Amino acid sequence: MKKHIKFLLNGREMACEVEQNKRLLDFLREDLQLTGTKEGCSVGECGACTIIVDKLAVNSCLMLAVQVDGAEVMTVEGLMENGELSKMQQQFIDKGAIQCGFCTPGMMMSAYALIMHNPDPSVEEIKTAIAGNLCRCTGYKQIIEAVSCSCGK
Amino acid sequence: MIAQFEVLAPKTIQEALQLISGNPRAKILAGGTDVITGFHQGSSRFIDTTTLIDINHIPEMHAITETDSHIVIGAGTPFTHIVENPGVIKYFPLLAESCSVIGSLQIRNRATIGGNFINNAPCADSVPALLVYEAKIRIQSAISDREMPLADFLVKPYKTQLKPDEIVTEVILTKFDDGYKGNFYKLGRRRGVAISRLTIAVFGKVENDIITDIRIASGAVTPIGMRIAELEQKLIGKPANDDSLKEAAIELGKIILEKTGIRWSAPYKLPVMQQVCYQQLHTLVFGKE
Amino acid sequence: MKKFNVVGKPVTRQDAYEKATGTALYADDYTFPGMLYGVMVRVPASHAIIDRIDYSAVAGNPAVTAIVDHNDIPAQKKVGPIKQDQPIFSWEKIVTPGDVVAMLVGQNETELLQLRDKVSVEFTALPVLTDPLKSMDPDAPRIHPQYENNAIVHYPLRKGDPEKGFAESDYIIEQTYTTQFIEHGYIEPEAVIAIPLGKAKGVKILGSIQNPHTTRKVVALVLGLPLTKVRVVQAEMGGSFGGKDDQMNILSARAAVAAVKTNRPVKIRFNREESILESYKRHPYHMHYKVGFTNEGKLKSMRIHITADGGAYASMSPFVTWRTVVQATGPYEVENVFTDVHAVYTNNPYTGAMRGFGSPQPIFAQEQIMDEIALKLGMSPLQIREINGFKTGSVTASGQKLDNHEVNLSTVINKAVEETNFVEKWQKNQKDNADVAKQLNFANDSEANQFILTKDQLIAPDKTWRKGIGLAASYRGCSLGAEGIDVTSAYLSVQLDGSAYLLCGLAENGQGLRTTFCIVAAEILGLTVDKIFYLEQDTAIAPDSGPTVASRSTLMGGGAVRNAAETIRERMVRSVADEWKVSADSITFANNTVSSSENNKSVTFADACGITYKHKENLATIGFYQAPEVSWEEETGQGSAYFTYVYGCQIAEITVNIATGQVYVEKVTAVHDPGTVLNLQGALGQVYGGVTQGVGYGIWEEISVHNGKIREMNLDQYLLPTSKEIDDITAIFIEGKDEHGAWGAKSLGEPTLELGAAAVANAIQNATGTRFYHNPINLEEILLNRKLYPEDLKRGSL
Ligand SMILES: Cc1cc2nc3c(=O)[nH]c(=O)nc-3n(C[C@@H](O)[C@@H](O)[C@H](O)COP(=O)(O)OP(=O)(O)OC[C@H]3O[C@@H](n4cnc5c(N)ncnc54)[C@H](O)[C@@H]3O)c2cc1C
Ligand code: FES
Ligand code: FES
Repeated sequence: MKKHIKFLLNGREMACEVEQNKRLLDFLREDLQLTGTKEGCSVGECGACTIIVDKLAVNSCLMLAVQVDGAEVMTVEGLMENGELSKMQQQFIDKGAIQCGFCTPGMMMSAYALIMHNPDPSVEEIKTAIAGNLCRCTGYKQIIEAVSCSCGK
Repeated sequence: MIAQFEVLAPKTIQEALQLISGNPRAKILAGGTDVITGFHQGSSRFIDTTTLIDINHIPEMHAITETDSHIVIGAGTPFTHIVENPGVIKYFPLLAESCSVIGSLQIRNRATIGGNFINNAPCADSVPALLVYEAKIRIQSAISDREMPLADFLVKPYKTQLKPDEIVTEVILTKFDDGYKGNFYKLGRRRGVAISRLTIAVFGKVENDIITDIRIASGAVTPIGMRIAELEQKLIGKPANDDSLKEAAIELGKIILEKTGIRWSAPYKLPVMQQVCYQQLHTLVFGKE
Repeated sequence: MKKFNVVGKPVTRQDAYEKATGTALYADDYTFPGMLYGVMVRVPASHAIIDRIDYSAVAGNPAVTAIVDHNDIPAQKKVGPIKQDQPIFSWEKIVTPGDVVAMLVGQNETELLQLRDKVSVEFTALPVLTDPLKSMDPDAPRIHPQYENNAIVHYPLRKGDPEKGFAESDYIIEQTYTTQFIEHGYIEPEAVIAIPLGKAKGVKILGSIQNPHTTRKVVALVLGLPLTKVRVVQAEMGGSFGGKDDQMNILSARAAVAAVKTNRPVKIRFNREESILESYKRHPYHMHYKVGFTNEGKLKSMRIHITADGGAYASMSPFVTWRTVVQATGPYEVENVFTDVHAVYTNNPYTGAMRGFGSPQPIFAQEQIMDEIALKLGMSPLQIREINGFKTGSVTASGQKLDNHEVNLSTVINKAVEETNFVEKWQKNQKDNADVAKQLNFANDSEANQFILTKDQLIAPDKTWRKGIGLAASYRGCSLGAEGIDVTSAYLSVQLDGSAYLLCGLAENGQGLRTTFCIVAAEILGLTVDKIFYLEQDTAIAPDSGPTVASRSTLMGGGAVRNAAETIRERMVRSVADEWKVSADSITFANNTVSSSENNKSVTFADACGITYKHKENLATIGFYQAPEVSWEEETGQGSAYFTYVYGCQIAEITVNIATGQVYVEKVTAVHDPGTVLNLQGALGQVYGGVTQGVGYGIWEEISVHNGKIREMNLDQYLLPTSKEIDDITAIFIEGKDEHGAWGAKSLGEPTLELGAAAVANAIQNATGTRFYHNPINLEEILLNRKLYPEDLKRGSL
């Protein structure tokens, strides 16, 4: 059974038909072909599927697509600013925060949501914000540095 | 793998109550952190569900209101809002603290307090704090509206007094007079995102070196989160000295053993629970080092 | 030392832009028109004879385009890197729960997942063998009837006269250590697509594949095709750590068989549960050490018996355990050594290559023993290592003299010790925590009293957190050593505009190899790194260079790239010198220009390419690097096992809550000599990542097995370290000189991982006055000296 939904995706208005039992993650990856958002566990533990809904970081594997009806959604594909890398993306690159890159989209979404609410987070606050994003490659240190340097300071 | 179902998104509590009444195959969808993983893992609890009623579009369900005497939290309030609410932080710090260590930020942004105790897992972290604060909940259906202490609502693991046509709408917390102090401790295997091995909330009052009130609630080590009334009774009126606290901690071990029997985890959890209980009471009475 | 332009400077990763924008394509991000999905059919058994498979309940179902099983395999049905014991589809026996008997193929994966349980498999259950120590018993169930017994491999090492050594010792310590199964924990689960290209062209495989050339070989064997008709292209890898080798070969073969049968692209993608269920793990080891030493702290003799649980298939066990036999005595001089390492079959999940590759286990044992010896003699952990540690000219257990490189063991240890003020802290903790050992028994002591404590067992809050500091050191042989053929090649093609294509046969696994190789080529050709375009890993272009394992990539691949770049450079020098009539020696390459000091002329690199072209010199080449000779005597375990070694030391600072067993890791200081650091940022990333995995190994991570079945089926139960587990990591490099590879750049990936668990274990001893012998040292281990597991496999039980 499909349902009609409208929402804002990376600043663009969207109107779609979507299966009601479809997870938001599958809707993004399969229906909208936004494959930047990743799936690593399907149970809310790894954070690879993290996106921003109404200014909050959420696991898209734990939401249904129909639940974003009327919401504002941001995915990794929406991070670029005027076709240029955003400051955070640049910092992730410059600080060596990316190895295999599989956790990166979700990680950046968590970090971006943090900075929206808290423009000058401490290291502890950054760690808390990304504790739900597992990274097996980097040991987090360079990620934390990158987030720290993405802020206004 | 998610079965077929439809999702309804009512805008008012009344509308939601109408939708759920007479539809035993409907379930409430709050944060979805239990429901959707349940579907994914093919959990038997959701096998018959054909309708999900999404309560996220009902403003009252996620409002926190404060009066002189109470704080009322909409049952559909996600933990993030609770953790950040100044009233909750001020008057119910153990609740703020226990909610702040639930899952990850992404989970707390979605998962709701109602969903936590309605799911009633042994390791529901908000429960011990709610119990020591003697939280009441409001439960509504199309034809009824009742209030009851949370303690009565929780029956056994994954089972509550909720009827199929009912929705929990509010968590009601009564403010305390000055002089109460408390502590909450969560023990997990990791520091980040951990299922509790055990939790404890202690809350009470010491006057003239006498323990005049004490409440102790446990989670994860007992089948569900629960108050330990027998122990509280024994402690009240006792002198606030190290010896009484030690006795109390050991007594807690005996009570839990009686409630749970010896489970596979007992050789670790039972002795550790006594240690943690002692330490939390110690900190409550004598303050932090 | 030579001054570098690019080497050792921070350089941006080649692939970072795509990864930062979400446009990098991983295997599951690809879809193709008409693509089908393959879904595995398994049997709820750990060891059984398959009697009959009945597909009738699903055969006619419109969701099922095809059912694929062993009958569809045209050629070889069983594969394996050393022993061909692993079926693509099982048909005779089930030997572990991950085994797959068939695959349902169709367009709608969800429907297939619901249908797979309807396939009915009749089987006769056999006794299940889970204890590796029992696998060589005469009455043990035989896992693979085609072999005489359950032995996978046995390596002896004999040096000197151990009995005489023990007789000359003042003390003897004997101890048994164990380690657990470990999941690689790549965040991207397995995914692969096979695309049929028609009879003439064969099949193309696109996937999350660690070693495309190995995958090609396996798929070609299974399909009975020549290697040229199997083309394997690597998608972006979402982590591997050694884990996307055998398993991906098998999945690729399954997808390829289905693609050929249906003549449509077929994708297989695992969810996390399936990934944990079927993929191989790091070997659990059972290690018995007997060590004799003198009053002065000199090691005299070691007798070591190690049994590795190989699980149901041999996989890489023979290679993994070979490294163990070489390194089991640690970086210490021991005159007399007797080591036996066995790998055996069981019905447990199979074990194979994982970052560390046979070293984290013996280091967990042997580095704790060094501390035990120190304690016994009243020395510090530093002293005991000073007395016995390798120096230039030392002879290893396999009789190899270390004299062709800087032996920097004491340098790395001293640096780490200085940096952390180790000795002072260690001694203070040892004193402050002298009271803990007795208190720590409260849980065990309470067992007799129904787990009820006594008052004097309760620990006050201000006494509960105890500090500990622990050290571990290692040496590690670089590359494959005498266990394999060690050659690599790299393709370099310079274009007339001064840009260049580069491709090494060693595949990127997410660790940043592409960048490192570009740095090497750029350094030699005087280019900036952005001028070098690294090609997609494709077996149709890249020369076979053996596997990306054993941290051999920088050393071996770097050597091949260096060789290619030097060849091109020579040709360019020749042409330009001739054109300008200057001596070849006067020509230099830097900053995208080529100059001569003789005539002070300089042209852009592109123009120099033009000159070279005009001189009819080839601007493309295949570089080659061959590892120096190594040797190994199978019967005695003597020989020059590896052509060079690296050294590392890590120090962990922790606090332990002695009332609960919680361990908080405050700081890890990692000092490594990886040879020359080519890519600083990449090297730092390897240390931080490796340390985190090593600490995870020591405290939180464990796959436990019940009757062959895994309990921890997803990341809620298998606990990877989060951002909050380690407060800080410091990385320090000592760049020791070596003649090998690209300017002596050796290995780093694995040394960083192998020390963490041992350092943590030693720190826990320092905090508690108690030694723990069974990894991981988790809550229960600390308080009870054992693990606790739920009786059943259900989630969420108390
Ligand atoms: C990765 C992860 C980590 C977690 N970590 C923790 C943790 O550390 N501590 C912890 O306590 N929990 C943890 N949880 C579980 C926690 O997220 C849930 O218990 C959560 O609080 C449930 O709330 P929800 O809004 O998501 O409920 P849902 O999943 O929406 O619903 C749960 C159940 O309650 C019913 N329900 C919900 N609201 C109402 C209502 N108002 N009236 C009637 N019925 C209702 C639903 O029908 C359903 O049966 C974790 C979960 C995940 C996925
Ligand atoms: S896939 Fe959503 S958290 Fe792992
Ligand atoms: S970069 Fe590989 S998981 Fe984070």
